[in-house]
Amino acid sequence: MTDAVNMTNERNQIFRDLFNGKIPKRVPISNPATQDFAIQYAGLDLAECQWDLTKLEPVYEKFCQDFYTDTYPGGSIRIPSHYQILGSTPIVMSSSGFMQHPDVVGMLAEEYDQFIASPYDCIVETILPRLYTGFNGEPGKVAMTLAKAMRAQSDDLAYLGAIRAKMNAKYGFATMIGALTEAPFDFMADFLRSFKGISGDVRRYPDKIAAACEAVLPLMIKKGTLPNPSMLGYTFIPLHMAPYLRDKDFATLYWPTFKKLVETLASMGQSVQLFVEQDWMRYLDYLYELPENTIMRFEYGDAKLIKDKLGKKHIISGLYPVTLLQTGTKEQCVDKAKELLDVLAPGGRYWWQADKSIIHLEANGPVVENLRAVLEYVHENGTY
Amino acid sequence: MIDLQVLTQAVGDLDEKAILTMINDFVATNPSGEDAQTVVFACQQGMAIVGELFEKNEYYVGDLIFAGELLSKTIELLKPVLSSVATQKVGSIVIGTVEGDLHDIGKNIFGSMAEAAGFDVYDLGIDVSPNAFVEKLKEVKPQIIGMSGVLTLAIDSMKNTVKAINEAGLRDSVKIIIGGNPVNEDACKQIGADAFTTNAAEGLKTCQGWVK
Repeated sequence: MTDAVNMTNERNQIFRDLFNGKIPKRVPISNPATQDFAIQYAGLDLAECQWDLTKLEPVYEKFCQDFYTDTYPGGSIRIPSHYQILGSTPIVMSSSGFMQHPDVVGMLAEEYDQFIASPYDCIVETILPRLYTGFNGEPGKVAMTLAKAMRAQSDDLAYLGAIRAKMNAKYGFATMIGALTEAPFDFMADFLRSFKGISGDVRRYPDKIAAACEAVLPLMIKKGTLPNPSMLGYTFIPLHMAPYLRDKDFATLYWPTFKKLVETLASMGQSVQLFVEQDWMRYLDYLYELPENTIMRFEYGDAKLIKDKLGKKHIISGLYPVTLLQTGTKEQCVDKAKELLDVLAPGGRYWWQADKSIIHLEANGPVVENLRAVLEYVHENGTY
Repeated sequence: MIDLQVLTQAVGDLDEKAILTMINDFVATNPSGEDAQTVVFACQQGMAIVGELFEKNEYYVGDLIFAGELLSKTIELLKPVLSSVATQKVGSIVIGTVEGDLHDIGKNIFGSMAEAAGFDVYDLGIDVSPNAFVEKLKEVKPQIIGMSGVLTLAIDSMKNTVKAINEAGLRDSVKIIIGGNPVNEDACKQIGADAFTTNAAEGLKTCQGWVK
């Protein structure tokens, strides 16, 4: 066996142990920088490289070589081609070339009943045409648009997949697969009613939100199901709206279907990774209730309190502040990594990730050096 | 006659039905512009209650967004009777989400709260270039600039915007506040802003302190 294959096997074992609640050989690391960062690091144009993926292989080559990580640093990527063909409004490119999700309305308040009666039909017939301009017009034209978009997406994914396979073979990354889904309430907010819309609905029609979350739950479960639950990997669930709700609205509208989602996925034998965005400190007791070994990557919070409350049951990650890499000295950045290791690693159930992804590289800024120093430090000192 | 204290409390409670009933009944009496002004003032006091409840962690961001929506609805209903009187403004603010960032929820909350507090608010929208900030600054000469962003790249855009304001020789004429998920004290220093906040109500207080 080659060194890279050995490394993949070793890393896969580390993650298998981690996800099963055993203490792994060392603390695994995922580089928080993304493809957007990698393109800028290679000195190329962000927008151009996302349109012309043939430019990406040397980008990843340099990125993988220069920054330590145990998992492939490709992250979740929004490829612009199919969004452009579909006339997407919920996912668009900004002037900086970064793909983003503006606050959009896919469903009107008066359409709740239609949605509750049949979420899938409502999404296909009413919501998609509103969010994607390419779904408006003659059926023949719509069919062509859909075919073109799906072809573009599958070509792009295949191309990115080939790069990923090459990098895995060369650098021996853990070979994990992933699915992505959303908590039902977050799905209702992010793609259907908008942040503003759902904030009014919470006051005006709480019963309809609750019914809609129940109705859409099976689709969210299906979206989050791995091809085979015994494969090494996880379902990624980025959590959005809970910190913006009052406790009682969280308890009645957000939590019940979110809990069912995680429980159902876990009962199929899958790992689940939550990206616990913003401040969830007032909900730690709820999070404790989720199935054992749920992976929780925190954006914010008191590391010690999180470890005390959740660390014996769940796998803790995140919390490393990437803005420090922009503003701190190398020593401060490494000290912060040490501080988190000291609190979170003892007893196991810790995976080194940062609080956010790094999507931007300021020319002549300190991020490259600081990030590299932190990744090296955790690699060399990441014992439980 | 409308009971202003009850109205203030209804705004504080975010009781949409009660507010709209009271305002509609009031407008139906064909009131004077001066009377309408006192109603606006009562609503502003209600918004202050909303801000206090937010600081006490009884209300959260979703409630602030709903409050902003209720207030715009109310002002819309009052406009026909308000048009006859000149309004006294406490100051002016130019706001925008900085270049490269499309997130505007926080900016919009801050904007509607600042408006409710009597500021003239000029909202440049999202993905706003440093140059667009400078041009607006020259045009309306505000006391305050508010820059917003959610992505970490916003920090660099904010830095570039302050640099552009400096280069235009306008830095001494405005106070600059930055807001959003990635801002903190270190970032504020590096950017060269006068204040930072991750909390719209707190940011508004800072601005009110500046125009006193």
